[in-house]
Amino acid sequence: MNRTIQFAKRNIIELSRDALGYIFCIAFPILMLIVMSVVNESIPKEAGMIIFRIDYLSGAIIVFGQTFVMLFTAILVATDRSTSFLMRLFSSPMKSSDFTNGYIIPMILVGIIQAIVTVIASCVVSAITGTELKVAGLLLVILLSIPSAVMFLSIGLIAGSLFNEKSAPGVCSVIISVGSFLGGVFFDAEGVGGPMLKICKCMPFLYCTKVARCTIQMDFAWDNFGKSLLIVSLTALGLLCLAILTFRSRMKADQ
Amino acid sequence: MEMNQKKDMIRLDNLSKHYGTKKAVDGISLTVKEGEMLALLGVNGAGKSTTIKMLSCLTKPSGGTAKVDGHDISKEQTLVKELVGVSTQDTAIARNLTVEENLNFMAGIYLDPKQYDKKKRRERVEEVLQDFKLDEVRKMKSSKLSGGWQRRLSIAMAMIGNPKVILLDEPTLGLDVLARRELWREIEKIKKNRTIILTTHYMEEAQELADKIAIMISGKIVMTGTLEELEEKTGQKGLENIFVSVAEGDRA
Repeated sequence: MNRTIQFAKRNIIELSRDALGYIFCIAFPILMLIVMSVVNESIPKEAGMIIFRIDYLSGAIIVFGQTFVMLFTAILVATDRSTSFLMRLFSSPMKSSDFTNGYIIPMILVGIIQAIVTVIASCVVSAITGTELKVAGLLLVILLSIPSAVMFLSIGLIAGSLFNEKSAPGVCSVIISVGSFLGGVFFDAEGVGGPMLKICKCMPFLYCTKVARCTIQMDFAWDNFGKSLLIVSLTALGLLCLAILTFRSRMKADQ
Repeated sequence: MEMNQKKDMIRLDNLSKHYGTKKAVDGISLTVKEGEMLALLGVNGAGKSTTIKMLSCLTKPSGGTAKVDGHDISKEQTLVKELVGVSTQDTAIARNLTVEENLNFMAGIYLDPKQYDKKKRRERVEEVLQDFKLDEVRKMKSSKLSGGWQRRLSIAMAMIGNPKVILLDEPTLGLDVLARRELWREIEKIKKNRTIILTTHYMEEAQELADKIAIMISGKIVMTGTLEELEEKTGQKGLENIFVSVAEGDRA
């Protein structure tokens, strides 16, 4: 456990010294929250479009932010793999669980910090626009967005283990685009319906957005919230196991 | 105590590593006694780094055995890893961490928290910072250090856990003559009571630092001994002449 903590600490320092991390993981999602709120204010009320209303938007932005956690996990792992620093650590008494947990723990923390910052920004937007937000929902979403954060960081761990530091960000960018589109972050997937909705429902991203939205709105009905949380949690667990196996097998291959 | 009365700290018996049909290391046998420094001398691709990789448990041997302080590198990896400090060919440092943070990190990995509480760990880091004259750059990001300083830090990181055995893979590769000499002095200092294998293709480095030299050509150790013994065996004076005569003899 001590070695896991030491490695996690090192990864936190690495992340905290990367200015791009602040821009992509914190500033960009907040910027999108503000921009989409401005868009929402510009849409006539008669249009009945609620997708960018702050109680809908903030959950989606939390999930959008988590896609960048995936990107930074992939970059960190792929960069470490490309340097002899990781080789040195492979020759140390660290176990493979020290490595995987040392990557996972800081990224969960980043996901939580991201959710807190988004919640605070949402409160500011809500105060400006006069849209009501439920405090309990905002507090709960910080906790209930952890499964989706684990899901995204697992994808990042897989990408970082399989690809090098040049191609891993490219792969993650594709997943960010697909994830935010099929996750209904910036459009109403359920309002569109038809084959588009069917495709969205085949991917886990839509359920991540639904969990965050429902939590903020304190809508804990099984059909919307319960089922989605179960799907996200199981997907996160499956991907986490796959990520650990992938990293371990790459660890052996890299040696 | 005489060197030959000391125990075998590293023992290789017919150790080999094959990648497909390529024999990177081809059945090498040697012993390094406690407190001895062995220079593994050879050109690029001779199999020196592969030997180091096997001894540091980074790659499994294809055949033969190797023991570090009596522990088999294939069967007792955890024990071997605790005994061995490694400085790899490329400078293996966390580039975004400062010098002090790098050492703190490695101290956390290698020093047993039961024996080394926070205070003792900090003291050990201070000791290494002073020993390697890294104090003046302790707050500098490692990526900002010159090549020579990075190598020094890399060796200091290998030393933090007070290992019984140190493996230095081409420690001065790519350094200018002054930085190399400076690093030699550091390596001389860490020799005390430690068993070291140093790989190099610089003849003068092996001659200057090592107690014993093993010449490795195409995965095989073709000659081992002290400089005097090698001179006697080949009838040549100086390591460069010895190496050329051995290499040409092997080619013939």
